[in-house]
Amino acid sequence: MNIEVIDHKGKKVLTLSGEIDMYSSPELREELMGILIKKVPALYIDFREVSYIDSSGIATFVEGLKYVKSYGGRLQFFSIPKGIMDIFKFSKLDRVFEIYGNLDDAINS
Amino acid sequence: MRSTRNTAISKEYLQHLEQKVEDLKILTEISILISSTLDLSELMTLVIEKAKSLMDAEACSILLYNKNTKKLEFEVAFCREASATDILKNKITLDIGQGIAGWVAKHQKVLIINDVQKDTRFYQEADKATGFLTKRLIAVPLVGRRGLIGVAEILNPRKEKYDNEILEILARHFAIAIENALYYKESLEKERLKQEIEIASVLQKSFLPETPVLHKGNVTVSAINVPAKQVGGDLYDFVESVEGKLGVFIGDISGKGVSAALYMAKIISDFRYLSHMEESPALVMNSLNDILSKAPRGMFLTAQYALIDILTGDIQISDAGHPPFLLVRKKEVKVISGLSGPPLGIVSEAYPVSTYSLNSGDRLFFLTDGVFEAKNREGKRLGFDALLAFVKKKRNDERLIEKIADYVHKFSKGAEIADDLTLMELRFMKDEE
Repeated sequence: MNIEVIDHKGKKVLTLSGEIDMYSSPELREELMGILIKKVPALYIDFREVSYIDSSGIATFVEGLKYVKSYGGRLQFFSIPKGIMDIFKFSKLDRVFEIYGNLDDAINS
Repeated sequence: MRSTRNTAISKEYLQHLEQKVEDLKILTEISILISSTLDLSELMTLVIEKAKSLMDAEACSILLYNKNTKKLEFEVAFCREASATDILKNKITLDIGQGIAGWVAKHQKVLIINDVQKDTRFYQEADKATGFLTKRLIAVPLVGRRGLIGVAEILNPRKEKYDNEILEILARHFAIAIENALYYKESLEKERLKQEIEIASVLQKSFLPETPVLHKGNVTVSAINVPAKQVGGDLYDFVESVEGKLGVFIGDISGKGVSAALYMAKIISDFRYLSHMEESPALVMNSLNDILSKAPRGMFLTAQYALIDILTGDIQISDAGHPPFLLVRKKEVKVISGLSGPPLGIVSEAYPVSTYSLNSGDRLFFLTDGVFEAKNREGKRLGFDALLAFVKKKRNDERLIEKIADYVHKFSKGAEIADDLTLMELRFMKDEE
């Protein structure tokens, strides 16, 4: 898994690629919580290049989601590939996370 | 005249030889000494004491290279003030290239500096922190078979004459001994972790039903659970908490390892308690969701709880983001994806319940994602569709549950079992048939 943090017109975007599993999620957690601890109003997660996510990866985002909700922030996912979207729908996680087609839709929401 | 000159040369040669013999004796002695222990701290003390006495130095220190942080960290230091080691260990780290030790680590060359205070590479902070005054210094790289291990520094040596070659050979011996001790420490740590995981695995098993088969009225339930190497978080349970009904529960906790095993134990006991307190599967799920919302690190549970009337076959199922189950009949296989809420422990939710009426001969197969996400040696996943195709083909097999487990096992032969795999069969068969 690769993580890149981008500043897009003042918005923080976390771009992920590869497999998010029990081996890579500790690194994701460090990066994610490192940003959220600063209480950013919204963090955008780019899933375009993510090939797989397992339950430990999802748990990392659940932890992030619970944290942003505690201060009224938002965690927004976008560009989720079909395979990953199927996992989200399968487990009704599409009702838990905010999911958008692309970054602009997420920003304008 | 000729003979006198020969004698002079011989004396010099003899002295040189004597020195060499003396050096080699020390070298042998040190080699024996440092290969006598695999305990890292004991070894460090031995190495540093020997180096200090050999060079008649005021102080010595060893910095080890931390591959994760890519920095040099003080491992041990010997000087008059015993507290110096603690100060250096806690306060000072050096980047590769920083300070004299950093320079030596970068260039992997012995460095002898006769006036340290005038050397621009010298990093003053260590002296400032300990109150030591470094005047002369010999810094030797410690390079093992797997590359840089660290740097040894000999501070203010009083001995003027020493053999560089011997120093380098010694450093090489030290490096290999330290490398062996580090390797030994790593394998001890690995062994300890392995044992902890084995204990967690035994603990986890002890929470599952004692027998994987239960028969009540017209209902027979059976389960197969194959734990992953890493100890996953699958769980299942059979409960007889409601008069005339049998409850079956299947779940999968996010994450793996000891934490998942511990959490699984808690969930099973919470579930057993709640299933006696509430009759409706939906209410049990709601309460379990409240309890799990306090789980650490975003841990969550996907689960299904089914409560079946053991005489009529009427069944209520509450689902929390768990994979669909299969209804297997003589002529068809249906994927049942009923009403469902998200996994437990994420958001506050009123879980729905779906009701079905089973016909005699109907079989339900509940499973966890470890079944269809099993990977083969090439890293390819089995997939839900392939699993479904197999079940359709074998739908009339009496021992279908074992056949599925075998099929997944064969598919992932040679690959590590990355996730727990749980299959649960609920069979409804009226007596007269």
